[in-house]
Amino acid sequence: MSWVRAWGRALLFAFTAAAAALSFSTYTARTRSLAMKQVYFAAWQVLPGFTLFAAVLSWVVIQITVSLAREYNLAQFALELAFRVVVLELVPLLTALYVALRSGAAIVTEVAVMASNGELDELRSADIDPYEREFVPRIAAAAMSVFTLTVVSCFVVMLIAYLVMYGASPWGFNEYSRTVALVFGPGDLGGFLLKCVAFGVVVAVIPISAGLDATRDPRSVPVAVMGGMVRLFVALALIELVYLAVKYV
Amino acid sequence: MEREGFTRVPKNLQFRVGLLLGLTIMVAAAFLIYALYARGVFEATQRLTLVSDNAEGVSIGMDLTFSGFPIGRVQRISLGEDGRARIDIDIPRKDARWLRNSSIFTLERGIVGGARIRAFTASLQDDPLPDGAERVVLRGDTQEEIPRMVATLRSVLENVEQVTGASGSLQTSLDNLRALTERLGSKEDAQKVVTAIDRANALLASLGGVSRRLDGVVAKTDQRMFGAGGVVDGTQRAVEQANAILGELRESLKRVDRILADAQAVSGNAKAATQDLAQLRAEVDASLRKVSGLIDEINRKWPFQRDSEIRLP
Repeated sequence: MSWVRAWGRALLFAFTAAAAALSFSTYTARTRSLAMKQVYFAAWQVLPGFTLFAAVLSWVVIQITVSLAREYNLAQFALELAFRVVVLELVPLLTALYVALRSGAAIVTEVAVMASNGELDELRSADIDPYEREFVPRIAAAAMSVFTLTVVSCFVVMLIAYLVMYGASPWGFNEYSRTVALVFGPGDLGGFLLKCVAFGVVVAVIPISAGLDATRDPRSVPVAVMGGMVRLFVALALIELVYLAVKYV
Repeated sequence: MEREGFTRVPKNLQFRVGLLLGLTIMVAAAFLIYALYARGVFEATQRLTLVSDNAEGVSIGMDLTFSGFPIGRVQRISLGEDGRARIDIDIPRKDARWLRNSSIFTLERGIVGGARIRAFTASLQDDPLPDGAERVVLRGDTQEEIPRMVATLRSVLENVEQVTGASGSLQTSLDNLRALTERLGSKEDAQKVVTAIDRANALLASLGGVSRRLDGVVAKTDQRMFGAGGVVDGTQRAVEQANAILGELRESLKRVDRILADAQAVSGNAKAATQDLAQLRAEVDASLRKVSGLIDEINRKWPFQRDSEIRLP
């Protein structure tokens, strides 16, 4: 039953955080400054490395797809397959997992330590809302990191798909556009956006809510971190599964 | 909890974060606009509705191709009131010039891949296809062909089996051949068979010569009968001559009539009449001789019609 309660706490935290994010008093100079720092840590610092990783990975996958499709005389489906598999599924999921692994792990540990050494209680006793001061900036930063990394790496992957398929020739553009039109319809784009937002929300919310599970006992910190990371992974997998099921089943 | 101690924060933090956000939003917006452009939102299109009794395999976003190039895209598939599928296709105005009133549309389904809608235009000089046109699509289906092909193939295989089977004709022939070769035990027998075959060959060759000569004869007969200067031609000329001579004869007989009337009326002038009669008789004689000669000639040239008859007026 404990995992049901943990999920319930995560959900409750998400609503509270959303309420805090919508409240006017959250937007102070201090919060903004912290949010910027967090965005810098979570997105700016990793952007070149992650984009390079996404580029190399997608280059290999698309190259295999295209050459195999050409071998089996199915080259006309290669680009569509690359878009559907790499751009719509692989890259967003990898981005969310990467941000979860990097920023999520850092945030859950940080919050768990804050809960463990009584920092949060001090804030509360000083009548400072920890949501405003600490949580909302981190949530915003994590969500923005997922959004930024996904958009930039998907853009790079689409460029690479063009280069792998047509080389530097500009004459593939019409065919490329047709495939883009086929894959990125309004429904597909809406679903993709929804999935990315869901990824961003769980990556931002679940680590902090899991960190809050830690007690004053220092031994509760690893348990809280582990529970948070597992829940985060399950949530990401579930979102991907539901998205795929709705789209293709 | 302050992390500045561990990770250095740059001075122009605000600028960098702003740049990152701006770049991201710009890329997202640019992609959105590009996707809309790719879907032809900014392009003037015209509508074409294809009617088919089965729209299986047709999906929204599918291309309509002309000469292998996509010129339109399926926008909507619906079931019409008459129970037939209606496939609505949007065609950009700039590509619509390839479609004419006389264009034909086909829906083909291959073994691999989805269906294909293709347009064929025989003459690009015809009137252009109007907006909102409705056409019946011709269907070709490989998968429907396969069972029929298999059925045909099976009957072919059965025939082959019958021919090659233990009691089949091929087997019988082989058996006969074997019996023959067994009977041709000695070298002399084999020599005889070879000689017989040689003779049969020579006979066939001479028969070939005969048939070639017969061909020549037939060709010559043809030439003689119907060619220029042939029998038929000569007969035709003779008949024309006969017509002319008969005309002359008619004229002469008219004159005889007139002269006889003169002779009756003017019996007094016997000498003149006698002179006229002598001349007339000579003319009649000459005419009759000509007729006689002509009839002889016709008889000679036209051997199949012996009892030719010339009626005199």
